[in-house]
Amino acid sequence: MLRFVLFRLLHAIPLLIAVILVILLMLQFIPGDPVQAMVGDFPVSPEFRAAITQQYHLDDPFPVRVYSYFVNLLHGDFGYSYQFQRPVWDLIAESAPRTILLTLVGFLIAVPFGVLVGTVSGTTRSSRVDHFWTSTALVAYAIPTFWLGQLLVLVLAVHLGWFPTQGMGPLVSRAHGLSWFLERAHYIALPALAFAVHEGTRFARIMRASVADTLGQGYIVTARAKGLSRGAIIRGHVLRNSSLPLVTVAGYAFGAALGGAVLLETVFTWPGLGLLLVQAVRMRDNMTVVGIVIFAAIAVVVINLLVDLLYAALDPRIRGRG
Amino acid sequence: MNTEASIHQNPRPGTAARTNLRHLFLKSARGAALSALIAVGASSHAVAADDTPVDGGTIVAGIDPAAIATLNTQLTSLTSSLVMADVWADGLMTYDRDGKRIPRLAESWEISPDGLTYTFKIRSGVKWSDGKPFGADDVVFTLMNFGKYNTYLTKLMPLIAGAEAPDPTTFVVKLKQPMTATLDLFDKEVFPLMPKHIYEGTDLLTNPANRAPVGLGPFKFVSWDTGRAITFERNPYYWEKPKPHVDSVIFALIPDAQQAINALSRGEIDWVRLEPVKVPVAQAAAKGGKFQVIEIKTNAPERAVVDFNMRKEPMKDLKVRQALFEAIDRERVAKDAYQGLANIAVNAIPVQFRNLHDPSIDYNKLYPYDPKKAGALLDEAGYPLKDGKRFSIELTYIAKAPFDSVAKVVQSQWTAIGVDVKLVGLDPQIWIDKVYKKHDYDASVISLTGRTNPVLGIDRSYLCNDGDVPFANPTGYCNKDLDKLIAEAAAAPLDKQKALYSKYAAIVARDLNEITLTNARAFEAVSTMLKNVDAQFNVAFNTHPNWQEVWIPKDQQK
Repeated sequence: MLRFVLFRLLHAIPLLIAVILVILLMLQFIPGDPVQAMVGDFPVSPEFRAAITQQYHLDDPFPVRVYSYFVNLLHGDFGYSYQFQRPVWDLIAESAPRTILLTLVGFLIAVPFGVLVGTVSGTTRSSRVDHFWTSTALVAYAIPTFWLGQLLVLVLAVHLGWFPTQGMGPLVSRAHGLSWFLERAHYIALPALAFAVHEGTRFARIMRASVADTLGQGYIVTARAKGLSRGAIIRGHVLRNSSLPLVTVAGYAFGAALGGAVLLETVFTWPGLGLLLVQAVRMRDNMTVVGIVIFAAIAVVVINLLVDLLYAALDPRIRGRG
Repeated sequence: MNTEASIHQNPRPGTAARTNLRHLFLKSARGAALSALIAVGASSHAVAADDTPVDGGTIVAGIDPAAIATLNTQLTSLTSSLVMADVWADGLMTYDRDGKRIPRLAESWEISPDGLTYTFKIRSGVKWSDGKPFGADDVVFTLMNFGKYNTYLTKLMPLIAGAEAPDPTTFVVKLKQPMTATLDLFDKEVFPLMPKHIYEGTDLLTNPANRAPVGLGPFKFVSWDTGRAITFERNPYYWEKPKPHVDSVIFALIPDAQQAINALSRGEIDWVRLEPVKVPVAQAAAKGGKFQVIEIKTNAPERAVVDFNMRKEPMKDLKVRQALFEAIDRERVAKDAYQGLANIAVNAIPVQFRNLHDPSIDYNKLYPYDPKKAGALLDEAGYPLKDGKRFSIELTYIAKAPFDSVAKVVQSQWTAIGVDVKLVGLDPQIWIDKVYKKHDYDASVISLTGRTNPVLGIDRSYLCNDGDVPFANPTGYCNKDLDKLIAEAAAAPLDKQKALYSKYAAIVARDLNEITLTNARAFEAVSTMLKNVDAQFNVAFNTHPNWQEVWIPKDQQK
């Protein structure tokens, strides 16, 4: 098992190097003037331009910058953001937990929803219940997250006033203990719901197909023949066997979300990695952009590895092979 | 011109319950009359409570977090940083709503008869927000050290012969040659004062105080929570006591203008500076009673312009530029792109500069909307219609409102006279690269602020510019005589300036390297919870409220 983990991690190194090179190259070719971005829409004084350029080595040749970036990275240094005037790692360390929190809460809603609806639908195929859930899930999945987010804000926050319109929590608050928790839950509810609608319906569709597939297996027929109840078959045989594809899809979705739920965070002004990435791109804050991309790439690699390990835990056949 | 800040929406909210009730009533036609009654009841309550200011509470202001690298506005002209500087920083002077200069940390000033020496009497007994004493040497330090980095002072710095503080309450600046705009360059927005004891002997650009400033404003910096908020609290050493009344001002970082309006309409934030394109939406949302929309009458000119690339055909040809100007119905630009919230520009020197603007040079008379004449001019210039088309050009702009709408209106009108226009909407950085650095465009739309004086915001569009400096003249137009006239106009005594600026406007109107379409009006949205708003909005040009005048009734304090 340890060998498997090490092999997978080592395998990821060339991938990460390639990701970094590609992103640095892309940023090199996008026109941009970080000094102008710092000053606004007014001509920059030549002295200011010269001082900033020298300070952040903005005029170093591309290979020199790539080399020094990799050297710094090997020392655990993600670089310094000249726009935020802080080490990039500090920015990531501050924003990533907020994105993880939003993603986790989204998953807490999406996974049970997906499993439940997928199972109900899969076990009642071609019934009215199935048709209802299948078509609902299809429509919900087709709605782009940012549009759904805006719609939720407009209806549930602006018009009905049930939820805050944006942000992670009130900027002025005297709440403690449980009321603090509830206050925060109030703020996370809408973005998590928008995330969950999209992912949950996807999970439901995967689960439905998988449940249907499992129900056709020989061991289910055997279980039926043994006289096991429908509930016992679903709980004991169908759920576990059907959840494998869901684990894969959910794992990828989690990794992708960590890479910055860009649209979702922008719609809800959720100050996570996605919002940070958008700002960094707008400001041509290349160090921060690359830092977030590396973080996202590592997150995807690690989560895929965890998915594989979870797979092994769920399916003894894979464990045996490993 | 009416110089009062006019308030468009007057209902104030009562308690949350009452607001919700009103909201429900507003939804139905039957509820309208009753809702008005409630508003009247609420207003009479407001008058009674308005008498005595009470301390306490927090103002949450919404700002766009994009590109805020520093809070030190000696080093940036970014709007969000400027808005925050009004809260924590102060300067020698500012402007009231009429655009008249009013003293701040300079109690008075004198200009020598030769226009070379400016002497400011500095207020005594003032302290920085860290409790250290403030004096004239801080002013000298700020000018001599930050001046070279300050984007507005690029014209002044080469003219400075010296600056000194003969005593703690006297600041003297000597010029090599007169420049009448000098006083405007010591306005608190352009020239915020910086503490010598914090910056002396340090690298000014990397000093941590740029992001955790020490200033002279009514509030002092507390914290910066990246992606969420920047917080300021009452400055205990503020010189204009007992102000401010509120305990703190928090700037909520909200990147999207619509989100800010949503938050305002739910009472989550209390103030936002409105982009022109969002004003009608905000005015509609203000009917909910949570906030009102205020117009800043003497605003810094915000000129929507089209730059022509005169390095290339066909824009090289004056007749083509004239024709393209006459083909634009600027009323349509004001109506469609600015929802009627922009005025038609008269000439290159905006009307806000009352003492310099000459209305007799009038684009409306020189180049009235006349597509037929425009077509004839293009025929004369050698571009007759062939298969319904005369020539093809590229019109580039930043792909966001209002530039995209301006560009579309211009495109449709140029197309009507047979010019094939390809629209190229770009990310701001890519647009800067294309227009100012590579000069790879035919025509370009942008909106430029004129600030408080032509020296600051207007001259840059017409002065020769061989380089690739963004937001300076990108057209390739270079007229040494105009450059000389611009310098003369800036240096002339006040009573001689108007004639020179009139000549300046006439040359621009003749050569048309850049055409000014409209001049947008300025609006801000502010919570109805705040009292004494009228005194607070005694501001002009680019200045924003410093929140020292307003107060919040106890029952509404957050």
